[in-house]
Amino acid sequence: MSAPTLPTGYALLRAARGSFLVHRRATVTAGCLALALAAACLAYLCVGEEFVGPGEVLDVLLGRPSAQELTVGTFRLPRMAVGVLVGAAFGLAGALIQTVARNPLASPDVIGVSQGAGALTVGAMTLGVTSFTTLPYVSAAGGLLAAALVYLFAWRGGLHAGRFVLIGIGFAVALRAIIQLFLTSGDYLVAQQAKVWLTGSLNDAGWDRAEPVAWALLLLAVPLCWAARAQRTVALDDDTATALGVRLNRVRGGLVLLGVVLASVATGAAGPVDFVALLAPQIARRTARTAQTPLVCSALTGALIVVLADLLARRLFAPTELPVGVLTAAVGAPYLIRLIVKGRGTHVRTGGGTA
Amino acid sequence: MTERTMPQQQRRTTDSRLRARDLTLAYENRTVVEGLDLAVPDGRVTVVVGPNACGKSTLLRALGRLLRPAGGSVVLDGEELSRIPTRQLATRLGLLPQTPVAPEAITVADLVARGRQPHQRWWRQWSEADERAVADAMARTDVTTLADRPVDELSGGQRQRVWIAMALAQDTDLLLLDEPTTYLDIAHQVEVLDLVRLLNAERGRTVVAVLHDLNQAARYAHHLVAMKAGRVVAEGRPEDVVTAELVREVFGLEAVVVPDPVTGGPLVVPGPPA
Repeated sequence: MSAPTLPTGYALLRAARGSFLVHRRATVTAGCLALALAAACLAYLCVGEEFVGPGEVLDVLLGRPSAQELTVGTFRLPRMAVGVLVGAAFGLAGALIQTVARNPLASPDVIGVSQGAGALTVGAMTLGVTSFTTLPYVSAAGGLLAAALVYLFAWRGGLHAGRFVLIGIGFAVALRAIIQLFLTSGDYLVAQQAKVWLTGSLNDAGWDRAEPVAWALLLLAVPLCWAARAQRTVALDDDTATALGVRLNRVRGGLVLLGVVLASVATGAAGPVDFVALLAPQIARRTARTAQTPLVCSALTGALIVVLADLLARRLFAPTELPVGVLTAAVGAPYLIRLIVKGRGTHVRTGGGTA
Repeated sequence: MTERTMPQQQRRTTDSRLRARDLTLAYENRTVVEGLDLAVPDGRVTVVVGPNACGKSTLLRALGRLLRPAGGSVVLDGEELSRIPTRQLATRLGLLPQTPVAPEAITVADLVARGRQPHQRWWRQWSEADERAVADAMARTDVTTLADRPVDELSGGQRQRVWIAMALAQDTDLLLLDEPTTYLDIAHQVEVLDLVRLLNAERGRTVVAVLHDLNQAARYAHHLVAMKAGRVVAEGRPEDVVTAELVREVFGLEAVVVPDPVTGGPLVVPGPPA
């Protein structure tokens, strides 16, 4: 095969009659992240109130009879699975929303998705809905509803990136006020429970909480492949992208919808785990040095952050378990700051203009 | 006003694939262009000039379907622009906006390659044709040696050449350029305009450019369109169109028009400084 002069940093992958551009460094980064995630997961399963050797953990994972079946298989494994899935979903959601907003500070927890989920969930709790089989759906609905409202208000014959973020922030503030209202006016015990949920927590997470997120990721796999490619053009300014034949409003709508669904479902499973959606794509992008946010790397970074943070949350003040949301920032933020300080030419770009 | 417009027969029988008919353009409720008719001559360089806010950029945006007409229509190959699927249109008509924004940290070759977007599909992200078009576009604009450099690190002139390369990689017969020389020093301005002429000469590409500088417009245009307050005041060959009366009428400037010592074309020299 002749070696075509490809854009710098890309490799060409030919499969059947298709040809795909693969970013080399992003692929290597994804590989490394996958290994790191596997290691973190193993550590997660080993470490706990009682240390379980890696050999025994593998026995459990492979379904061989083991004395640690209960500790590893029943308690730690589902919780870890929720962490991985939720982290991946937040990482993807953040990447997609940041791409559309053209702003690295936009993420579901900034533009009102998390707050919408929170407001509806806390409202439902106050009204006496406490079943953990219903609440995830309530919060997913809340996130979607909030995003729909933001989209509706930001729409003026087209979606302006800057307006989208600003209206999102406005909604986030208003919804946070509603959450506070529920918390202060409702029952004390409910408020306590709601507060833990609002910090984002994997405590007592079981397979039932992993399931909706797993389904969402699985069903959205194909649209996400589309999104990975569509992101390339949305990263340009509106006029240039349109001149290149991109139906900008549709593409953006699709990307936002994907991001919001993922963020809402993840919030439903674990509460709004702060900063993951904000940090993961930025860390992934800066590590992979791509011109657009690499989706696979973002997902893996998100998963890694949540697993590591929850491991710390479980052990740092053992036997007291902290909600994972307390620690996600502590794990991710220093790394992001390091990358920004180290990196060159990292401008915070606000929304693209529509003359 | 009309006697300055070129007589019909003198336009030869140039065809026009791209036309504006009774075009009215508006932002919100402010009408910028009203009842404008324009036929862009095929295979020529058309330059639109006019004072600030005369609607020249707005017109270009409408010709490139970035702005939907409030009235009238823009027609390409006999078909109304708004009826042509945007991707298909992008294989025939390219447009480089005035201030395009590159994704952060993107390399030159990557950005130029994005001009291939309308020719690519999800399952066909890179082909021989893509490779040829990108290599060719980069060679013509002399940015091949910059291929691996991040666009953020380039000088203004280099960056503008990279953007033009991206528009060239799109490989369209018609190319619209919105003030391609803004922010460039005089040497780079000339370089970019020479390139535009070259592209037209070599491939017979139809180019429409909006320019600020009347003298540059007169030098590089085959067909000059002078606009004022949303209307075409005069159009035709620069030597026929550029006169002291036109400069006064369009720009409100007293000036002398002398033959350009280099090209022999019209050169506008403003009156003495105050």
